Amino acid sequence: MMAVSCLTRALRSLTVSQPAVLSSQAVTALTKLELGTRLPGAISGQCRGFLTTASLDQNRTFWKQREKYTIKPIGMKKTGGRDHSGRIRTHGIGGGHKQRYRCIDFQRLRYEEDKETQPFDEKVVEVRYDPCRSADIALVAGGNRKRWIIATENMQAGDIIKTSGVIGRMAVSANEGDAYPLGALPVGTLVNNLEIQPGKGSEYIRAAGTSGVLLRKVNGTAIVQLPSKQQVQVLETCMVTVGRVSNIDHNKRIIGKAGRNRWLGIRPSSGLWQRKGGWAGRKIKPLPPMKTYVNLPSISAK
Amino acid sequence: MFPETARCFKTAAPFLSPAVLLNDLRRLSAHGGAGAGCPQARRHFSVSRCLTAKVPPPRTPRERVHIPGLERVTYGERMHYVPGLTKPVYPPWEKDYKDPRHYKSPPAHEMRLYKEKPCYVYNQRTSALEGVRQALWLTKTKLISGLPPQLLSLAENPANQIPDQDERVQNAIKHARFWDTTQLRPGKVKYSNTLLLNLLHLCAALQPSHPAIGRRILAEKYSLAATWKRGKDLFQIRGQNGLLHNSMDPLPEVSGKQDVSDTVDHIVETFYPVSPTIDLQKVHVYKEDVNCLGFRDDYPYPHAHTLYFLEDADANCKLRPEQFRAKMVMFAFGNALARAHKLYGTQPQHVLDRPVTVQAVGSNGRIFQFLVFQLNTTDLSGDDGIKNQVWLDENVELYDFAKVRPLIKKKQVKVPAGLAGYKPETFTKFLALYLHGAV
Repeated sequence: MMAVSCLTRALRSLTVSQPAVLSSQAVTALTKLELGTRLPGAISGQCRGFLTTASLDQNRTFWKQREKYTIKPIGMKKTGGRDHSGRIRTHGIGGGHKQRYRCIDFQRLRYEEDKETQPFDEKVVEVRYDPCRSADIALVAGGNRKRWIIATENMQAGDIIKTSGVIGRMAVSANEGDAYPLGALPVGTLVNNLEIQPGKGSEYIRAAGTSGVLLRKVNGTAIVQLPSKQQVQVLETCMVTVGRVSNIDHNKRIIGKAGRNRWLGIRPSSGLWQRKGGWAGRKIKPLPPMKTYVNLPSISAK
Repeated sequence: MFPETARCFKTAAPFLSPAVLLNDLRRLSAHGGAGAGCPQARRHFSVSRCLTAKVPPPRTPRERVHIPGLERVTYGERMHYVPGLTKPVYPPWEKDYKDPRHYKSPPAHEMRLYKEKPCYVYNQRTSALEGVRQALWLTKTKLISGLPPQLLSLAENPANQIPDQDERVQNAIKHARFWDTTQLRPGKVKYSNTLLLNLLHLCAALQPSHPAIGRRILAEKYSLAATWKRGKDLFQIRGQNGLLHNSMDPLPEVSGKQDVSDTVDHIVETFYPVSPTIDLQKVHVYKEDVNCLGFRDDYPYPHAHTLYFLEDADANCKLRPEQFRAKMVMFAFGNALARAHKLYGTQPQHVLDRPVTVQAVGSNGRIFQFLVFQLNTTDLSGDDGIKNQVWLDENVELYDFAKVRPLIKKKQVKVPAGLAGYKPETFTKFLALYLHGAV
């Protein structure tokens, strides 16, 4: 309505210098115009056109752009494996039950505003299923705020969990569910929700039933073995939670039927028989070298 | 008509640079829409896609560096776009007149009533995490389960019963649950409201024998406000809570002076690590010392007698039973505190000569919660001293089932249709709370 009136007003205000161009534009005014036709000699000052190409904004993830943290579940838009251009980037994703996203706080050591930066306790209010991940999530409340975190194995409603950023001289005997820096834990503890860079938030060991092992602590850094047996070296101030992630029988579940996979949003793979290349088959190879996320001066530099 | 010209400009823009065009579009629309970050004024015209999709957030415009020696040449004087020249930047125009349709409120720290110290407000939609324990801490109250003995004896006294009480109450329930609709069954909001009004109507039938009932009136949608200090923080309770039964005479006190002074030994329960201010609305802009009962000073029925709460009164707010009881405690306390502030002034009083008593009844249509709150002190800042008292009778069922169609499992009738499992004691308690102060 408004677009039409604007267009007519614009058309009326245009110069009469190139009537042929104007009429063709007028005809295609309301339909989706393509930018393809560039008129020869149409310099922008003399020929004013208008275009109405649809930008693919409906593929954009506006539902994720939320500045304020909330525990209320947010409605999600499914992508179906499509990226911003609209083409399938990842096959086998689509459909499935509607899900609502609960904002998980992966940065465990997040102090409340206006509070001092000291170790604090939180109480587990509820442990529930999360449709967006394999692990269960727990609603914890401490001070004046509530947040969702990844639940560990034996977490129950009513537990008190501790979060501390202090590295003492002696290793702490940690209870399951507590979060400490790597330098404060004894060697050999099972850990999960590992941070690679201190303060960034945990990015590793978050799946159901997984746990890493703290192998050794070397002057200012700690070496953790991930569930894939890969070893990583990180700064000892990176936070981890102690214990295994919840829902440990996740890998033992039986899907049972194709329909259940479809409920989970997994579409069937292509039925075309394709010759498997060098990537397939069992590989027996040595462990990759340890990945270091610490910029240490090498000893040979001295 | 700057937005109009902006739209004209948009649709009739040059042909060759779509990216620039779209950026201009967005910048223009943002500029024409009264500043960035104003969602309702931003327009996004799309002729080829769905108009109900979420509007993309406004992109921050490119930062323009201003070098003092080098002034940019703009096409402002030429009055039309010239490629190669910059867009002119004009000072933002502020309305010099007051337009009530386009008013933007100033940010919080520029408001007149802004204060550094925050105030925690409990309103009618607050869902307290710790429930009744949090309400008890906030109001410095001791909980006693069960109704006080005088009320129970009042209930059992046969002179206080309505003739054909059981039958009339069952008819009231059946009317609320079955008969009050043209559909198959009335909805929960409707039947809980109808049931409450029917029960009140029944209780009022005792007016010939208890004339003091005539000195009462019901009131709805009144706004309560009360302020108090607890610990280091300032608290307020605000909101429209429910149906209020007002009376010309105050309620008599429920517990004697001995019991009141015995509450000094009681310790109010804390729940570390959760802070008692959790789930309360934190505001920096508030009026200090606001105490309003909801009525003017010359109102003929000044004393709050009973509050009636319905669980589903607010569609946006679903409270669990524990949170619902907490809401009842808080609003009974709010009414009592506002009354005490009116009578004795806003200075904290260690002991009130005549404690203020307020009752509350909450229901979801079948299950009732009865509450009697006695305000003994307005000195709530410390944890020691005399505490207030609350008698709470929770989860009292009026009837078990009121089914339109019978529940049949394996060809056996488990629950028959109609009203089943009626409990007469619940209505006697309801009546006792109603008659308290009128006998």
